[in-house]
Amino acid sequence: MLLEQVEYVRPQSLDEALEILANDDGAAPLAGGQSLTNVLKNRVASVDVLVDISRLDDLAGIARTADGGLSIGACVTYDELDRSADVRQTHWLLGEVAAHIEDQQIRNKGTIGGNCCLSDPTNNLPPLLVALDAVMELRSRAGQRSVASADFFKGYFATALEPGELLVSVTVPPMPAGSGAGYTSLAVGADAKAMVRAAARVTLDGGTIADSRLVLARVAHVPVRDTDAEARLNGGDATEESVAAACAGVADGMQPIADVHGSSEYRRQMAKVMARRAVSQAVAAARGSRNGSKAGGN
Amino acid sequence: MTITSTPVTGEATKTWSGRSMPRKEDGRLVQGQGSFVDDGGMHGQGYAWFVRSPYAHARIVSIDCEPALAMEGVYAVLTGDEAKAMCQAPFFAIAPPPGSLMQEWPLAVDKVRYQGDAVAVVLADSRETARDAAERVVVEYEPLTPVTDTVAAADPAAPLLYDEAGTNVAWHGLFDYGDVDWALENADHVVKLDRLHFHRFTSSPLECNGAVVDFDRGTGVVSVLSNYQMPMFAAMVVGPTIGVPMNKFNFVSKDIGGAFGIKIGFYPQIAALALLSKKAGRPAKWTEFRTEHMLTAGHGNERTFLDVEVPVMADGTILGLKVRAFDDAGAYLHYEPLGAVIWSQVVPGCYKLKHVRVDYTEVVTNKCPVVPNRGYSRMQHLWLVERIVDVVAHELGLDPVEVRKRNYVQPEDYPYETPNGCIYDSGDLPRSLDIALELAHVAEWRERQRELGTGTGRRIGIGIGSTLDSGTNNFGQSRIINPDLPFSGNGEAAFAKLDLFGEINVNLGTTPQGQGHETTAAQVAADILGVTPEDVTVTTGFNQANNSYVGFSGTYASQFAVSGLGAVMGAAQKLRHQIVKLAAFALQAEEDEIELEGGSARVRGDEERAIPFIGLSNMVYTNNAGLPASLLDECDLNARYVYVPPFEVPDTVAKTGNLTLTYASQVHVCVVEVDEETGEVKVVEYAAVDDCGNRINPLVVEGQVHGATGLGIAASLYESLDYDESGQLQEPSFYEYHVGTAMDIPDVACGDIESPSPFTPNGAKGMGEGGGAPLHAVCAALQDALGAGAPVVSESHNHWARVYELLHRDPGAPRGVEVVTRTAEPGAGVESL
Amino acid sequence: MGERGTSHAVTVEVNGEKVSRIVAARQLLVHFLRDTLGLTGTHIGCDTGNCGACSVIVNGKLVKSCMILAPQVDGATIETVEGLADGDSLSPLQESFHEHHALQCGYCTPGMLMSATYLLRQNPDPTDEEIRRGIRGNICRCTGYVNIVKAIRAASREQASGGRPVPAAAGEEV
Ligand SMILES: Cc1cc2nc3c(=O)[nH]c(=O)nc-3n(C[C@H](O)[C@H](O)[C@H](O)COP(=O)(O)OP(=O)(O)OC[C@H]3O[C@@H](n4cnc5c(N)ncnc54)[C@H](O)[C@@H]3O)c2cc1C
Ligand code: FES
Ligand code: FES
Repeated sequence: MLLEQVEYVRPQSLDEALEILANDDGAAPLAGGQSLTNVLKNRVASVDVLVDISRLDDLAGIARTADGGLSIGACVTYDELDRSADVRQTHWLLGEVAAHIEDQQIRNKGTIGGNCCLSDPTNNLPPLLVALDAVMELRSRAGQRSVASADFFKGYFATALEPGELLVSVTVPPMPAGSGAGYTSLAVGADAKAMVRAAARVTLDGGTIADSRLVLARVAHVPVRDTDAEARLNGGDATEESVAAACAGVADGMQPIADVHGSSEYRRQMAKVMARRAVSQAVAAARGSRNGSKAGGN
Repeated sequence: MTITSTPVTGEATKTWSGRSMPRKEDGRLVQGQGSFVDDGGMHGQGYAWFVRSPYAHARIVSIDCEPALAMEGVYAVLTGDEAKAMCQAPFFAIAPPPGSLMQEWPLAVDKVRYQGDAVAVVLADSRETARDAAERVVVEYEPLTPVTDTVAAADPAAPLLYDEAGTNVAWHGLFDYGDVDWALENADHVVKLDRLHFHRFTSSPLECNGAVVDFDRGTGVVSVLSNYQMPMFAAMVVGPTIGVPMNKFNFVSKDIGGAFGIKIGFYPQIAALALLSKKAGRPAKWTEFRTEHMLTAGHGNERTFLDVEVPVMADGTILGLKVRAFDDAGAYLHYEPLGAVIWSQVVPGCYKLKHVRVDYTEVVTNKCPVVPNRGYSRMQHLWLVERIVDVVAHELGLDPVEVRKRNYVQPEDYPYETPNGCIYDSGDLPRSLDIALELAHVAEWRERQRELGTGTGRRIGIGIGSTLDSGTNNFGQSRIINPDLPFSGNGEAAFAKLDLFGEINVNLGTTPQGQGHETTAAQVAADILGVTPEDVTVTTGFNQANNSYVGFSGTYASQFAVSGLGAVMGAAQKLRHQIVKLAAFALQAEEDEIELEGGSARVRGDEERAIPFIGLSNMVYTNNAGLPASLLDECDLNARYVYVPPFEVPDTVAKTGNLTLTYASQVHVCVVEVDEETGEVKVVEYAAVDDCGNRINPLVVEGQVHGATGLGIAASLYESLDYDESGQLQEPSFYEYHVGTAMDIPDVACGDIESPSPFTPNGAKGMGEGGGAPLHAVCAALQDALGAGAPVVSESHNHWARVYELLHRDPGAPRGVEVVTRTAEPGAGVESL
Repeated sequence: MGERGTSHAVTVEVNGEKVSRIVAARQLLVHFLRDTLGLTGTHIGCDTGNCGACSVIVNGKLVKSCMILAPQVDGATIETVEGLADGDSLSPLQESFHEHHALQCGYCTPGMLMSATYLLRQNPDPTDEEIRRGIRGNICRCTGYVNIVKAIRAASREQASGGRPVPAAAGEEV
């Protein structure tokens, strides 16, 4: 409550927003405000001017891309993801994960763009977007560029965004044929902040895993792909036993942050469990050939 | 439908007490028309913001208020030194030395003792400016080593919070009943537990603290509009410090957004605001926000039990217990060390333990001060007793149900005198347990537990929590802490009045925070006065000007049904008496011929001879010429009554006496499902059986049971307040402190038994706090899920990582329990005890 | 061009009434409602967006009014607890909360009612689990949620059996 003095502006166009952001180091985009408002309330960072981008048409809407993937405007809310027929059809799990972010009020305001640009390690969407090979479309007055989601998250509250740059949309490629996705979290309470998460995508070739993505969240400051585990999975049987064996070494050598909810060692163990469950879900989804299917909860 | 109080109608006399009635207070609350503290204000008020310490323990080197005062809109800044200079004494201490040397002032003086300790307070023309200015008050600190571990704090080598006291031990006492040494020597088994730990948490009401305080320099009257739940306690503590007599206070509270004991703790803020108002010459309004609340408003008592020894007979009869208890009061003794005796209201828990020795140490640490948190101090001890009973069953391979039933105080034992002289009034624990087991479908769950077996990764656990909710304190127990204290007994006051047009008003000294006093008081008064509850207007909240209060007024410690309603009954009966007298005069009848019905007084059997209440009011208030003086003298239609429970002063040397009037009981059964791989726990079934004697409004009672259950489950699995070594709170807001949500807290099946209390005017027992039964039940369920040979569930809070550790502890590692079995002739002579 | 500044003119429709005010950019919607407009039915229970006591409906969407700045709602239609009853006649949910003792201190109640109202507009016949999900963002410390779930369920049943429906949303859904 009771923020510091701050300016507010609601630009009428994307260009105008980029202009303001380019000219003022102390400007910050305000999207859903479901994190930024808290930052301001608790006066942990100060902002000169809030640039309200939430009503910009250029950042709204979900579109199918020519290749059957999705282009999601940065200001699309979790609730819109949850209810979008396109999302449910092409990437069912993305809608499902969005449907389990905290609560209805936050889902009605929080945006995919804000969820990523904050780069809070507890946020739900980053690990999933990395597992889905999503691409972040960035724009500044200087022009537009694309950054792979795997390269977008740079650290605790840090991203590849340059000053004056906005995330305008997220492109999610179509699920490869024969693939499925999975997502699991170990949370303090239902739909609450997670201690560990894992997101996975596997592509099956008959009874074997042809390709995989395994992304862990909260074992480090940013979502990390466990390429060793992926290598163990790839070419292996798509059975419980072989998935379990491949995931046994997950997070070894990592030092997850310890806090009141558990030690570093506990989190490492949990990363293995979450990884195995996410991969198993992905396998089941691939078998059921529902795109990115099976409810992973939050 | 509208929910308003209509004037006296004329419905036939019915019995309203004992009925489930929707509440009178709901109408305004569902429409957003409640009047909570931040909704109100006073003319010309400024807004206050406290400057608080980021350090847990530090010396205050200097405070520079100039940058704040230089800001536009800032009225005043008050520092700790200034405040002290305006005071006549530190706050009154409950403890004798050395506790009494641990002095507290309205704002910190010289030192800060916990993160969030207030060093100054700013008054400005807006909330925002006040906060902006507070950030510009420059405080220089010299950090000191903080003390955060409860047991280590008692070590003479530990850094001291109060140099003047020379120790961090605020109080120490030995409670020794029966002959525990004898029992330990003669028992078949002695079960020994290394350490049990009851964690720090807060039932944290949804509305934070708040107050608008005006120090009127003209009249010297201090007006306090606040959500304080024990206003006259605040007045008694604050008055002598800031030099204000009781008749110059005017405490007012309206709707209160929950309290759970926490709102007994903010008298330092009230004092600081009064002084700030005095300095600035205008009322000071302070609204606490959540982070401030979590850091400073008060936490529940954290207690560590060491060296637990339990003498048990082969058949599972538990003879007693011996333990060293260390209770952590935090940085200041806000209500402590009262907790050091409050627990002894329930020395043997629900059981017939006869030999009990508790070596009790109250320490101060560099953490937020503790305040009475729902289940205050008894909950911690009851948890210990329940853990003991549960562990005994598991260790001896006995059925936890049977062990409980064997040791329970039996229905025929009431009134039952405990080893320290408390009188348990009534109850039927074995039947309560049977009902709870059935409601929770325990037979089916046991089946399911067997089916699941091992290797499925899932486990079922079933646990029981039996507790007591002791209500209506005998404040004489405070003398066990400090024999010089001038307190004993208890009481509550109420007025019942027939107003000018025959309307019925009741007001009383309680400060309800959701307990439905307006409704239950109206039910009780309606029965006595022959009207409907709709006809009775019960004043909302507390107003000192109403004069319906005594020193112990307020709403706390599970006592309303007894003391509050006892006062209402008394006042209503007095009023009835006056009405009957007047009516007999008016109707030319004998008093014993008069009956009250439908808002009229009439002569029994004669429809024609009746007078409505408005007629009686008219006789007294507005048309009284010629009325006999003796009648006017006796019948002012304004009846005050003070209910005083029957208590003696306890024996302060032996530490014995009847410490509370009633003992409601709760038996809860909890079924959990545990994920072996992660330690996640889900409560899959929950049943609660409450026995609080006669229930005035079962709907309200059941609501209290639901609430206490929800908070207890949340505390057992989600809510914990933890400090790191530097004394920083790890959960300073609801973002970190995961409050149980509707998706975390299960549905609760409620059962009830009504064992009327023989000691109360209405057979009711106080209830509402609930004795922490869910914490006991969840721990027991986890113990059950862990299975034979598992470590002891030794913490009251069990988050997933802890459960995981219990599930996966190395089989060779210590389990925290040891059973020593006597080799000599078992049980010789024990029967006779 | 959007106007930039530390204060802004804001026009909103609150419970059917149009109001215009100059607000500080830093003012939260909840403070605007409570302190500026005097609509104190909307409560504050936390400072991190967790408790939902401040829930209101803006342009048909349930939101927490402590997570929005006042200038952000310029042009919006806002529904608060004060607008739920139709004169003296309580909304079916308000009545159901009363009947089922779904409130104790009543502090969470306004926000809880807004969430329940939104839920039943979206989903007139929710399961108990859907009800619990629908009020996941509203903390109640008094009731253990038991009677709140019961009251919402009863109101939805009542509506299904031809009773009065939950009032429709004000303003367009955006
Ligand atoms: C009580 C509570 C619990 C929560 N729990 C969870 C949870 O469990 N999981 C979870 O994922 N989230 C959670 N959140 C956070 C929520 O999801 C936020 O919505 C999200 O973190 C930020 O999205 P936003 O749209 O609200 O962004 P904002 O708060 O508006 O912005 C966040 C940051 O991103 C920047 N930004 C926003 N959009 C852009 C853009 N397009 N380009 C460049 N920069 C941009 C902003 O400047 C700001 O720094 C919770 C929030 C609350 C209040
Ligand atoms: S006050 Fe808005 S969520 Fe708590
Ligand atoms: S009724 Fe008190 S918080 Fe819900």
